[in-house]
Amino acid sequence: MSDPIDMRDVRDVTVVGAGPSGLFATYYAGFRGLSVTLVDAQPEAGGQVTALYPAKTIHDVAGFPSVTGADLIAGLTAQAREHAPHMLFDADVVDLGRDEQTGLFRVVLKDGRAIRTRTVVIATGVGGIHPRKLPVGHEWHGRGVVYIVTDPDVHAGQDIVVVGGGDSALDWALQLRPIARSVTVVHRRRAFRAHPASLTRAAREGIVLLTESELQSVDGDHRVRSVVVRDKQAVDVELPADTVVGALGLLSAPSPFEAWGLDVEGRHVVVDPTMQTNVPGVFAIGDASSYRGKVALIATGFGEAATAVNNAAVHIEPGASLVPGHSTDDDVALPQTATTRQEA
Amino acid sequence: MTYVIGKECIDAQDRSCVDVCPVDCIYEGSRKNYINPAECIDCGECELVCPEVAIFPARKATNDEWKQFTADNAAFFTEQLPGQDAPLGDPGGAEPLGSVDADTPLVAGWPQR
Repeated sequence: MSDPIDMRDVRDVTVVGAGPSGLFATYYAGFRGLSVTLVDAQPEAGGQVTALYPAKTIHDVAGFPSVTGADLIAGLTAQAREHAPHMLFDADVVDLGRDEQTGLFRVVLKDGRAIRTRTVVIATGVGGIHPRKLPVGHEWHGRGVVYIVTDPDVHAGQDIVVVGGGDSALDWALQLRPIARSVTVVHRRRAFRAHPASLTRAAREGIVLLTESELQSVDGDHRVRSVVVRDKQAVDVELPADTVVGALGLLSAPSPFEAWGLDVEGRHVVVDPTMQTNVPGVFAIGDASSYRGKVALIATGFGEAATAVNNAAVHIEPGASLVPGHSTDDDVALPQTATTRQEA
Repeated sequence: MTYVIGKECIDAQDRSCVDVCPVDCIYEGSRKNYINPAECIDCGECELVCPEVAIFPARKATNDEWKQFTADNAAFFTEQLPGQDAPLGDPGGAEPLGSVDADTPLVAGWPQR
Protein backbone atom coordinates (compact mmCIF):
# COMPACT_ATOMS: atom_id res chain seq x y z
CA MET A 1 0.00 0.00 0.00
CA SER A 2 1.43 3.36 -0.93
CA ASP A 3 1.91 5.78 1.89
CA PRO A 4 1.73 9.50 1.26
CA ILE A 5 3.90 10.20 4.31
CA ASP A 6 7.63 10.41 3.73
CA MET A 7 9.15 8.53 6.66
CA ARG A 8 12.62 9.98 5.94
CA ASP A 9 11.34 13.30 7.18
CA VAL A 10 12.66 14.24 10.65
CA ARG A 11 9.83 15.45 12.83
CA ASP A 12 10.05 17.95 15.67
CA VAL A 13 7.44 16.17 17.74
CA THR A 14 5.93 12.70 17.58
CA VAL A 15 2.81 12.26 19.67
CA VAL A 16 1.98 8.68 20.62
CA GLY A 17 -1.73 8.26 21.27
CA ALA A 18 -4.69 10.09 19.72
CA GLY A 19 -6.90 10.48 22.78
CA PRO A 20 -7.94 13.95 23.98
CA SER A 21 -4.48 14.83 25.37
CA GLY A 22 -2.61 13.55 22.32
CA LEU A 23 -4.94 15.32 19.88
CA PHE A 24 -4.53 18.60 21.74
CA ALA A 25 -0.74 18.15 21.89
CA THR A 26 -0.83 17.63 18.12
CA TYR A 27 -2.76 20.84 17.60
CA TYR A 28 -0.49 22.67 20.00
CA ALA A 29 2.72 21.51 18.33
CA GLY A 30 1.39 22.76 15.00
CA PHE A 31 0.35 26.03 16.62
CA ARG A 32 3.91 26.44 17.90
CA GLY A 33 5.22 25.97 14.39
CA LEU A 34 6.64 22.51 15.03
CA SER A 35 6.32 19.64 12.59
CA VAL A 36 4.33 16.84 14.19
CA THR A 37 3.34 13.25 13.60
CA LEU A 38 0.53 11.63 15.58
CA VAL A 39 0.38 7.84 15.80
CA ASP A 40 -2.26 5.62 17.34
CA ALA A 41 -2.86 1.88 17.61
CA GLN A 42 -6.58 2.27 16.92
CA PRO A 43 -8.10 2.75 13.46
CA GLU A 44 -9.53 6.13 14.49
CA ALA A 45 -8.91 9.01 16.86
CA GLY A 46 -10.32 9.37 20.34
CA GLY A 47 -8.63 6.77 22.51
CA GLN A 48 -10.80 5.48 25.30
CA VAL A 49 -13.41 8.17 24.67
CA THR A 50 -14.15 6.70 21.23
CA ALA A 51 -13.65 3.09 22.26
CA LEU A 52 -15.60 3.16 25.50
CA TYR A 53 -17.99 6.06 25.80
CA PRO A 54 -18.58 7.99 22.57
CA ALA A 55 -22.22 8.65 23.47
CA LYS A 56 -21.61 9.57 27.09
CA THR A 57 -22.07 13.23 27.99
CA ILE A 58 -18.99 14.83 29.53
CA HIS A 59 -19.53 17.79 31.87
CA ASP A 60 -16.06 18.78 33.00
CA VAL A 61 -14.42 20.07 29.85
CA ALA A 62 -13.79 23.80 30.13
CA GLY A 63 -16.05 25.82 27.86
CA PHE A 64 -18.56 23.02 27.29
CA PRO A 65 -21.39 22.73 29.85
CA SER A 66 -21.97 19.32 28.30
CA VAL A 67 -20.48 17.59 25.29
CA THR A 68 -20.68 14.02 24.04
CA GLY A 69 -17.46 12.06 23.75
CA ALA A 70 -17.91 11.81 19.98
CA ASP A 71 -18.44 15.57 19.56
CA LEU A 72 -15.45 16.39 21.73
CA ILE A 73 -13.21 14.10 19.69
CA ALA A 74 -14.55 15.49 16.41
CA GLY A 75 -13.72 19.00 17.58
CA LEU A 76 -10.27 18.04 18.85
CA THR A 77 -9.52 16.20 15.61
CA ALA A 78 -10.53 19.17 13.47
CA GLN A 79 -8.41 21.43 15.66
CA ALA A 80 -5.44 19.02 15.53
CA ARG A 81 -5.62 18.96 11.72
CA GLU A 82 -5.36 22.76 11.44
CA HIS A 83 -1.62 22.73 10.92
CA ALA A 84 -1.54 19.65 8.66
CA PRO A 85 0.11 17.13 10.97
CA HIS A 86 0.96 13.63 9.81
CA MET A 87 -1.53 11.20 11.32
CA LEU A 88 -0.98 7.45 11.31
CA PHE A 89 -3.68 5.12 12.61
CA ASP A 90 -3.57 1.32 13.10
CA ALA A 91 0.02 2.05 14.01
CA ASP A 92 1.08 0.40 17.27
CA VAL A 93 4.37 1.70 18.59
CA VAL A 94 6.54 -1.32 19.35
CA ASP A 95 9.78 0.39 20.24
CA LEU A 96 11.23 3.72 21.20
CA GLY A 97 14.96 4.19 20.84
CA ARG A 98 17.52 6.96 20.48
CA ASP A 99 20.29 7.26 17.94
CA GLU A 100 23.35 8.31 19.92
CA GLN A 101 25.06 9.97 16.96
CA THR A 102 22.24 12.21 15.81
CA GLY A 103 20.40 12.43 19.10
CA LEU A 104 17.19 11.69 17.24
CA PHE A 105 14.57 9.32 18.59
CA ARG A 106 13.24 6.41 16.57
CA VAL A 107 9.59 5.58 17.09
CA VAL A 108 9.22 2.11 15.59
CA LEU A 109 5.80 0.97 14.39
CA LYS A 110 4.51 -2.60 14.23
CA ASP A 111 4.83 -2.68 10.44
CA GLY A 112 8.54 -1.98 10.80
CA ARG A 113 8.46 1.65 9.74
CA ALA A 114 10.21 4.12 12.01
CA ILE A 115 9.59 7.80 12.62
CA ARG A 116 12.69 9.92 13.26
CA THR A 117 11.88 12.68 15.66
CA ARG A 118 13.52 15.28 17.89
CA THR A 119 11.06 14.84 20.74
CA VAL A 120 8.35 12.39 21.75
CA VAL A 121 5.14 13.08 23.63
CA ILE A 122 3.67 9.92 25.12
CA ALA A 123 -0.10 10.19 25.43
CA THR A 124 -0.98 6.53 25.47
CA GLY A 125 -3.59 6.78 28.21
CA VAL A 126 -4.45 3.40 29.64
CA GLY A 127 -2.63 1.70 26.78
CA GLY A 128 -3.58 0.30 23.42
CA ILE A 129 -7.16 -0.93 23.40
CA HIS A 130 -7.58 -4.28 21.68
CA PRO A 131 -10.24 -6.98 21.44
CA ARG A 132 -10.02 -9.39 24.34
CA LYS A 133 -8.54 -12.69 23.20
CA LEU A 134 -10.57 -15.89 23.37
CA PRO A 135 -9.49 -17.87 26.44
CA VAL A 136 -9.31 -20.98 24.21
CA GLY A 137 -8.79 -21.10 20.46
CA HIS A 138 -6.83 -17.89 20.00
CA GLU A 139 -4.15 -19.89 18.18
CA TRP A 140 -6.66 -20.23 15.31
CA HIS A 141 -6.69 -16.46 14.80
CA GLY A 142 -6.54 -15.86 11.06
CA ARG A 143 -7.59 -19.44 10.33
CA GLY A 144 -11.26 -19.17 11.24
CA VAL A 145 -11.06 -17.21 14.48
CA VAL A 146 -11.77 -13.50 14.03
CA TYR A 147 -12.29 -10.60 16.42
CA ILE A 148 -13.71 -8.12 13.95
CA VAL A 149 -16.10 -8.94 11.13
CA THR A 150 -14.74 -6.76 8.36
CA ASP A 151 -16.44 -8.33 5.34
CA PRO A 152 -19.63 -10.25 6.17
CA ASP A 153 -19.83 -11.75 2.66
CA VAL A 154 -16.84 -14.03 3.19
CA HIS A 155 -18.95 -15.85 5.78
CA ALA A 156 -21.76 -16.78 3.37
CA GLY A 157 -22.96 -20.34 3.86
CA GLN A 158 -20.85 -20.84 6.98
CA ASP A 159 -21.60 -22.24 10.40
CA ILE A 160 -20.70 -19.43 12.76
CA VAL A 161 -20.13 -19.41 16.49
CA VAL A 162 -20.06 -16.03 18.23
CA VAL A 163 -18.54 -15.93 21.71
CA GLY A 164 -19.72 -13.15 24.01
CA GLY A 165 -22.83 -11.70 25.61
CA GLY A 166 -22.86 -8.01 24.85
CA ASP A 167 -24.20 -5.84 22.08
CA SER A 168 -21.30 -6.47 19.72
CA ALA A 169 -21.82 -10.25 19.97
CA LEU A 170 -25.51 -9.91 19.11
CA ASP A 171 -24.92 -7.27 16.45
CA TRP A 172 -22.50 -9.53 14.61
CA ALA A 173 -24.77 -12.55 15.01
CA LEU A 174 -27.70 -10.61 13.54
CA GLN A 175 -25.60 -9.21 10.73
CA LEU A 176 -24.33 -12.65 9.72
CA ARG A 177 -27.58 -14.59 10.18
CA PRO A 178 -29.11 -13.82 6.75
CA ILE A 179 -26.08 -15.18 4.87
CA ALA A 180 -24.79 -17.86 7.25
CA ARG A 181 -25.93 -21.49 7.42
CA SER A 182 -26.16 -21.27 11.18
CA VAL A 183 -25.30 -18.81 13.93
CA THR A 184 -24.81 -19.80 17.55
CA VAL A 185 -23.98 -17.34 20.32
CA VAL A 186 -22.11 -18.78 23.31
CA HIS A 187 -22.10 -16.77 26.53
CA ARG A 188 -20.63 -17.88 29.84
CA ARG A 189 -23.01 -15.91 32.03
CA ARG A 190 -26.65 -16.50 33.00
CA ALA A 191 -27.99 -13.51 31.10
CA PHE A 192 -27.01 -11.57 28.02
CA ARG A 193 -26.01 -7.93 28.41
CA ALA A 194 -27.15 -7.11 24.90
CA HIS A 195 -30.20 -4.98 24.27
CA PRO A 196 -33.42 -7.00 24.86
CA ALA A 197 -34.71 -6.07 21.37
CA SER A 198 -31.62 -7.69 19.84
CA LEU A 199 -32.25 -10.86 21.83
CA THR A 200 -35.89 -11.02 20.74
CA ARG A 201 -34.88 -10.54 17.14
CA ALA A 202 -32.11 -13.12 17.42
CA ALA A 203 -34.51 -15.74 18.75
CA ARG A 204 -37.02 -14.95 16.00
CA GLU A 205 -34.38 -15.26 13.30
CA GLY A 206 -33.23 -18.66 14.44
CA ILE A 207 -29.99 -17.71 16.14
CA VAL A 208 -29.15 -20.27 18.81
CA LEU A 209 -28.40 -18.57 22.14
CA LEU A 210 -26.44 -20.64 24.66
CA THR A 211 -26.00 -19.21 28.16
CA GLU A 212 -23.87 -20.46 31.03
CA SER A 213 -21.77 -22.15 28.37
CA GLU A 214 -18.09 -21.86 27.61
CA LEU A 215 -15.94 -22.66 24.65
CA GLN A 216 -13.99 -25.78 25.58
CA SER A 217 -11.94 -26.24 22.44
CA VAL A 218 -11.60 -25.15 18.85
CA ASP A 219 -10.71 -27.86 16.37
CA GLY A 220 -9.95 -28.15 12.68
CA ASP A 221 -7.34 -29.00 10.09
CA HIS A 222 -5.73 -26.14 8.22
CA ARG A 223 -8.61 -24.03 9.49
CA VAL A 224 -11.38 -24.14 12.05
CA ARG A 225 -14.01 -26.86 11.49
CA SER A 226 -15.73 -27.29 14.84
CA VAL A 227 -15.88 -26.19 18.45
CA VAL A 228 -16.77 -27.93 21.68
CA VAL A 229 -19.04 -26.02 24.04
CA ARG A 230 -19.49 -27.04 27.68
CA ASP A 231 -22.66 -26.09 29.53
CA LYS A 232 -23.07 -25.61 33.28
CA GLN A 233 -23.92 -29.29 33.80
CA ALA A 234 -20.47 -29.96 32.30
CA VAL A 235 -22.02 -31.57 29.21
CA ASP A 236 -19.87 -31.10 26.11
CA VAL A 237 -21.50 -30.53 22.73
CA GLU A 238 -19.60 -30.38 19.47
CA LEU A 239 -20.83 -27.80 16.96
CA PRO A 240 -19.73 -27.40 13.36
CA ALA A 241 -17.97 -24.04 12.96
CA ASP A 242 -16.28 -22.42 9.98
CA THR A 243 -15.82 -19.14 11.82
CA VAL A 244 -15.55 -18.32 15.51
CA VAL A 245 -16.14 -14.65 16.29
CA GLY A 246 -14.56 -13.50 19.54
CA ALA A 247 -16.78 -10.70 20.87
CA LEU A 248 -15.53 -10.46 24.44
CA GLY A 249 -15.13 -6.71 24.50
CA LEU A 250 -12.01 -4.64 24.74
CA LEU A 251 -8.98 -4.80 26.95
CA SER A 252 -6.24 -2.24 27.31
CA ALA A 253 -2.60 -3.23 27.32
CA PRO A 254 -0.12 -0.83 28.87
CA SER A 255 2.83 0.17 26.69
CA PRO A 256 6.22 -1.36 27.55
CA PHE A 257 7.56 1.88 29.05
CA GLU A 258 10.26 0.18 31.10
CA ALA A 259 11.71 -1.47 27.99
CA TRP A 260 11.89 2.02 26.50
CA GLY A 261 14.06 3.15 29.41
CA LEU A 262 11.39 5.26 31.10
CA ASP A 263 10.85 5.46 34.85
CA VAL A 264 7.40 4.16 35.71
CA GLU A 265 5.08 4.13 38.67
CA GLY A 266 2.50 1.40 38.29
CA ARG A 267 1.15 1.78 34.76
CA HIS A 268 2.24 5.41 34.50
CA VAL A 269 5.35 7.24 33.36
CA VAL A 270 6.92 9.52 35.94
CA VAL A 271 7.34 13.12 34.79
CA ASP A 272 8.72 16.37 36.22
CA PRO A 273 6.84 19.70 36.27
CA THR A 274 7.73 20.25 32.59
CA MET A 275 6.05 16.90 31.80
CA GLN A 276 9.44 15.52 30.80
CA THR A 277 10.32 11.92 31.67
CA ASN A 278 13.71 10.76 32.92
CA VAL A 279 14.77 10.65 29.23
CA PRO A 280 15.41 14.23 28.04
CA GLY A 281 13.25 14.92 24.99
CA VAL A 282 10.61 12.37 25.93
CA PHE A 283 7.52 13.82 27.56
CA ALA A 284 4.40 12.12 28.92
CA ILE A 285 0.93 13.58 29.36
CA GLY A 286 -2.62 12.58 30.19
CA ASP A 287 -3.50 9.30 31.85
CA ALA A 288 -0.11 7.85 30.88
CA SER A 289 1.74 10.30 33.13
CA SER A 290 2.23 10.47 36.85
CA TYR A 291 3.48 13.18 39.19
CA ARG A 292 2.74 14.44 42.68
CA GLY A 293 -0.80 15.77 42.81
CA LYS A 294 -1.79 14.17 39.50
CA VAL A 295 -5.50 14.27 38.70
CA ALA A 296 -6.31 12.14 35.67
CA LEU A 297 -8.95 14.11 33.79
CA ILE A 298 -9.42 15.28 30.21
CA ALA A 299 -9.34 18.84 31.59
CA THR A 300 -5.88 18.43 33.14
CA GLY A 301 -4.61 16.51 30.10
CA PHE A 302 -5.13 19.58 27.93
CA GLY A 303 -2.94 21.69 30.21
CA GLU A 304 -0.31 18.96 30.33
CA ALA A 305 -0.29 18.86 26.51
CA ALA A 306 0.46 22.60 26.30
CA THR A 307 3.13 22.36 29.01
CA ALA A 308 4.82 19.38 27.33
CA VAL A 309 4.83 20.88 23.83
CA ASN A 310 6.14 24.29 24.94
CA ASN A 311 8.93 22.59 26.85
CA ALA A 312 9.59 20.30 23.88
CA ALA A 313 10.01 23.44 21.73
CA VAL A 314 12.71 24.66 24.08
CA HIS A 315 14.34 21.23 24.10
CA ILE A 316 14.52 21.35 20.30
CA GLU A 317 15.66 24.98 20.14
CA PRO A 318 17.22 25.95 23.47
CA GLY A 319 16.99 29.65 22.60
CA ALA A 320 13.27 29.47 21.93
CA SER A 321 10.82 31.07 24.31
CA LEU A 322 9.02 28.70 26.60
CA VAL A 323 5.97 30.91 26.42
CA PRO A 324 4.07 30.79 23.16
CA GLY A 325 2.43 33.69 21.43
CA HIS A 326 -1.24 34.21 21.99
CA SER A 327 -3.44 32.10 19.76
CA THR A 328 -5.49 35.24 19.16
CA ASP A 329 -2.54 36.85 17.36
CA ASP A 330 -2.82 36.84 13.59
CA ASP A 331 0.60 35.33 13.02
CA VAL A 332 0.34 32.60 15.59
CA ALA A 333 3.13 30.29 14.47
CA LEU A 334 5.86 32.58 15.76
CA PRO A 335 7.17 31.14 18.98
CA GLN A 336 10.37 29.78 17.44
CA THR A 337 11.26 33.39 16.73
CA ALA A 338 10.87 34.10 20.42
CA THR A 339 7.65 36.02 20.64
CA THR A 340 7.11 36.36 24.33
CA ARG A 341 3.97 37.06 26.24
CA GLN A 342 5.41 40.41 27.26
CA GLU A 343 6.07 41.44 23.69
CA ALA A 344 2.72 40.22 22.42
CA MET B 1 -11.54 8.31 40.77
CA THR B 2 -12.99 4.87 40.81
CA TYR B 3 -16.24 2.98 40.64
CA VAL B 4 -17.32 0.92 43.63
CA ILE B 5 -19.34 -2.28 44.03
CA GLY B 6 -21.92 -2.14 46.78
CA LYS B 7 -23.76 -4.67 48.92
CA GLU B 8 -26.16 -5.76 46.14
CA CYS B 9 -23.33 -7.85 44.68
CA ILE B 10 -22.97 -10.00 47.77
CA ASP B 11 -24.01 -13.59 46.92
CA ALA B 12 -25.12 -12.40 43.49
CA GLN B 13 -21.80 -11.97 41.64
CA ASP B 14 -23.29 -11.82 38.16
CA ARG B 15 -19.82 -10.97 36.73
CA SER B 16 -21.09 -9.02 33.71
CA CYS B 17 -18.92 -6.22 35.06
CA VAL B 18 -15.85 -8.44 34.82
CA ASP B 19 -16.65 -9.11 31.16
CA VAL B 20 -16.84 -5.44 30.20
CA CYS B 21 -14.06 -3.90 32.27
CA PRO B 22 -11.52 -2.67 29.71
CA VAL B 23 -8.66 -2.74 32.19
CA ASP B 24 -9.60 -6.01 33.92
CA CYS B 25 -9.64 -4.34 37.34
CA ILE B 26 -12.70 -6.10 38.82
CA TYR B 27 -11.56 -8.89 41.11
CA GLU B 28 -13.73 -11.79 42.24
CA GLY B 29 -13.90 -12.49 45.96
CA SER B 30 -15.69 -15.41 47.50
CA ARG B 31 -19.10 -13.73 47.88
CA LYS B 32 -18.63 -10.39 46.13
CA ASN B 33 -16.60 -8.63 43.46
CA TYR B 34 -14.33 -5.68 44.19
CA ILE B 35 -13.00 -2.87 41.97
CA ASN B 36 -9.36 -1.98 42.42
CA PRO B 37 -9.40 1.81 42.91
CA ALA B 38 -5.81 2.21 41.72
CA GLU B 39 -6.48 0.39 38.46
CA CYS B 40 -10.00 1.66 37.66
CA ILE B 41 -10.04 4.27 34.87
CA ASP B 42 -13.48 5.58 35.76
CA CYS B 43 -15.09 4.67 32.43
CA GLY B 44 -18.39 3.52 33.96
CA GLU B 45 -18.97 0.50 31.70
CA CYS B 46 -19.50 -1.75 34.74
CA GLU B 47 -22.21 0.45 36.22
CA LEU B 48 -24.22 0.20 33.02
CA VAL B 49 -24.20 -3.60 32.78
CA CYS B 50 -24.68 -4.61 36.42
CA PRO B 51 -28.08 -6.37 36.68
CA GLU B 52 -28.03 -5.90 40.47
CA VAL B 53 -27.51 -2.12 40.13
CA ALA B 54 -24.71 -2.61 42.64
CA ILE B 55 -22.13 -0.26 41.14
CA PHE B 56 -21.71 3.47 41.72
CA PRO B 57 -18.98 6.06 41.20
CA ALA B 58 -17.04 6.85 44.36
CA ARG B 59 -17.64 10.56 43.84
CA LYS B 60 -21.35 9.97 44.49
CA ALA B 61 -20.69 8.14 47.76
CA THR B 62 -22.25 10.68 50.05
CA ASN B 63 -24.25 8.37 52.30
CA ASP B 64 -22.68 6.21 55.00
CA GLU B 65 -23.33 2.88 53.28
CA TRP B 66 -21.68 3.90 50.03
CA LYS B 67 -18.78 5.48 51.90
CA GLN B 68 -18.37 2.24 53.80
CA PHE B 69 -18.28 0.17 50.60
CA THR B 70 -15.92 2.63 48.92
CA ALA B 71 -13.44 2.10 51.75
CA ASP B 72 -14.15 -1.64 51.73
CA ASN B 73 -13.40 -2.01 48.00
CA ALA B 74 -10.00 -0.44 48.63
CA ALA B 75 -9.44 -2.57 51.72
CA PHE B 76 -9.81 -5.75 49.64
CA PHE B 77 -6.50 -4.79 48.02
CA THR B 78 -4.66 -2.99 50.81
CA GLU B 79 -5.47 -5.28 53.76
CA GLN B 80 -4.30 -8.85 54.18
CA LEU B 81 -7.28 -11.13 53.55
CA PRO B 82 -7.92 -14.40 55.43
CA GLY B 83 -5.87 -17.22 53.91
CA GLN B 84 -3.62 -14.82 51.96
CA ASP B 85 0.07 -14.28 52.70
CA ALA B 86 0.04 -10.59 51.84
CA PRO B 87 -2.32 -7.88 50.63
CA LEU B 88 -3.27 -8.28 46.96
CA GLY B 89 -1.99 -4.81 46.09
CA ASP B 90 -2.44 -3.82 42.45
CA PRO B 91 -2.02 -7.06 40.49
CA GLY B 92 -2.60 -5.30 37.14
CA GLY B 93 -5.30 -7.69 35.94
CA ALA B 94 -7.93 -9.92 37.51
CA GLU B 95 -8.01 -12.71 34.95
CA PRO B 96 -4.47 -14.00 35.50
CA LEU B 97 -5.09 -13.93 39.26
CA GLY B 98 -8.36 -15.86 39.07
CA SER B 99 -11.02 -15.79 41.73
CA VAL B 100 -9.78 -15.00 45.24
CA ASP B 101 -11.21 -17.35 47.84
CA ALA B 102 -11.68 -14.63 50.44
CA ASP B 103 -13.62 -11.49 51.28
CA THR B 104 -13.15 -8.44 53.43
CA PRO B 105 -14.40 -8.85 57.03
CA LEU B 106 -17.36 -6.58 56.21
CA VAL B 107 -18.51 -8.83 53.35
CA ALA B 108 -17.59 -12.11 55.01
CA GLY B 109 -19.77 -11.16 57.96
CA TRP B 110 -22.68 -9.91 55.85
CA PRO B 111 -25.92 -11.90 56.39
CA GLN B 112 -26.57 -14.51 53.68
CA ARG B 113 -29.01 -13.36 51.01
